[in-house]
Amino acid sequence: MTTMKAPVRETSGADERSEALRATVKKYYIYVVLLVIVVTFSLIKVGEVGLFGRGAFLSPASLINMLRISVPILTLSGAFCLLMISGYIDLSVGSAMSLSAVVFSLMILNGFAFLPALLLTLVVGVGMGLLNGFNVMKLRITPVIATLVTLNLFKGIALLIVPDGTSAIKSTATQKMPAFINYYARQDVVLGLPASFFVAVAVILVLVIVQRKTILGKYAAAIGGNRTAAELSGINVVKYVWLLYVVVGVFAALAGVARASYMSLGDPLSGDGMELDCLIAVLLGGTSFAGGEGSVAKTIVGALIIVCITTGLMTVIPAYWQVVAKGSVLLLAVVLNHVLIRGRKA
Amino acid sequence: MESTKPAQKALKGGRMSNETLISLFMIGVLVVVFLIACLFVPNFYKPQNIVNILTNNWYIVILGIGVSFLLVTGNFDMSVGGVIALTGVLSVYFCQATNASRNVLGNGLGLPYGVAIALALLGAVTVGGLNAFFIAKLKVPSIIVTLGTMMLARGVGQVITQGAQRNTSLPKVFGIIGNAAIPGTSLKISVLIMIVLLIFAFFIERKTVFGRRTYQIGANQEAARLSGIKVARHLTMLYIFSALLAGITGILLASEYKAGLSGRAMGYEFDALVVALLGGVSIAGGFGSVLGMFVGAILLSVMTTAATGLLLSPDWQFTLKAVVTFVAILAQRWALDRRSRG
Repeated sequence: MTTMKAPVRETSGADERSEALRATVKKYYIYVVLLVIVVTFSLIKVGEVGLFGRGAFLSPASLINMLRISVPILTLSGAFCLLMISGYIDLSVGSAMSLSAVVFSLMILNGFAFLPALLLTLVVGVGMGLLNGFNVMKLRITPVIATLVTLNLFKGIALLIVPDGTSAIKSTATQKMPAFINYYARQDVVLGLPASFFVAVAVILVLVIVQRKTILGKYAAAIGGNRTAAELSGINVVKYVWLLYVVVGVFAALAGVARASYMSLGDPLSGDGMELDCLIAVLLGGTSFAGGEGSVAKTIVGALIIVCITTGLMTVIPAYWQVVAKGSVLLLAVVLNHVLIRGRKA
Repeated sequence: MESTKPAQKALKGGRMSNETLISLFMIGVLVVVFLIACLFVPNFYKPQNIVNILTNNWYIVILGIGVSFLLVTGNFDMSVGGVIALTGVLSVYFCQATNASRNVLGNGLGLPYGVAIALALLGAVTVGGLNAFFIAKLKVPSIIVTLGTMMLARGVGQVITQGAQRNTSLPKVFGIIGNAAIPGTSLKISVLIMIVLLIFAFFIERKTVFGRRTYQIGANQEAARLSGIKVARHLTMLYIFSALLAGITGILLASEYKAGLSGRAMGYEFDALVVALLGGVSIAGGFGSVLGMFVGAILLSVMTTAATGLLLSPDWQFTLKAVVTFVAILAQRWALDRRSRG
């Protein structure tokens, strides 16, 4: 009887140590990045305004403002991350957000109360997610192309809903937008932060638990790791990915409501670029774009980094540097992601 | 035994390629859409209008060439719009007079026009090289990288123009190439360049080893690599090629409007992708033709011209493009499925 031994590669102590080091770096680098950015922006003007004085990056007013602005991306990027973990992408989230903002504002302007308008907008979000899921999973169109198509579709519908001659759904000479539209995203609830912020926090907590502890989270990672293997082990890939697209649609709608509430109007272009922000957040957070690996918590930290950079840039550097800065951050995030995740891959 | 349609029987004899089938299919669609438009839009069939339709999309066709080749290999290039903006701005900045005005936007580097466009094209090549580095070397998904380089390119353009535009103190020669026509005809040089590039691209696609290798990479990248094709180098050349095409377009557009705008060509990358998809270029693997892309561009032009003729607001274009692309993708897949079944 011959026994065959699989060749075993002896790892030396040095290899094991560098593996451990890489694992540690991978786990904590993003918090370091956030810290570095916060410190940098705080120190830029420290001569003039000190660390916490008025106008400084870390002043209470500035911090609260940043958190209020960050509500849409915080609401959305968790779900976006979960979808990416399963290996699928949704580029239409920006337009989905704009369309939701438009629909929500239209309803409020025409006499709906807050809760019914919110719920109906979320239904719209479900519909958008169903459409994306259908195109990608049933019609088997490449996710990038399918969601680019819906990006234009949602944007087109949003632009068509807004009446000719106006640029957004807002108060007109004959119809006035009721004041309560602001309460969700602007009214202080605790510490100067609005209700929408706490809803976003709740959403994040739920999604972190989903990603780490629930079947949906595990299946998403399984599908992203190896779709065929997942299918063969009995996971209904079509159902779960479709569900993830619906989840993304719902939270895009919620983000749209928050945006409309913050701006007191429904702008069909207000969500443009949100998909890029989400992508940057997800990449910074170490999610592999092929799927199978990722963390909602780290994606949220990535989202906070983006918000810090965007608001920090607005105060320190002229506005026309924004785009090149964002592009550079995206490419840097890609490099970072590659170095840490793809590491040794040939 | 399933009965096959007479048309398919006839084809089986001298079997035309799948690409040709789809191109003919889309030409058929084009004719149908054109006829419908003629019914509803006044004066649609007038020769002047037809010439208009064929030529007003010239910049999308040029971009579409690069995008099609890359799409055949399974990669996107969304940076082309940003490259147009960047090269336009650079071509203006490099040849603006040096001390012409108190406004910093009125002063440039004062180089001769030829040098300016050469350097601008160099800028385009840099972006293409950057794309290639991330995509071919680091193997990052092309959609993410090219969106990033698009922002980078456009962003640099924004910094140089400080968010506005540069259009003063330009040499007289600047406005020639974008506005001139062949003497005796109304054929613009830009359109001529489009035609030349299209023929050139078709030749490469059908008759050269480079073209064939592109399709092999698209069909099965690993198999192509194993059969000796240097995939990384090939993709690098394709991305630089695409960036150069965008650069040429950017210079022509800047010359036509005599201004360098950082906001120019917004959304052109998506239009280029749409016309490639309409023309049957498939991202799934190694399928499609620049000729199909051209047909797709004309189709898009017919629809937008018809929409304008019907006095629809420009906001309709988004929904229109989305629906048409969607239907086209499904229809093409249906046509190919039927063929392989019969």
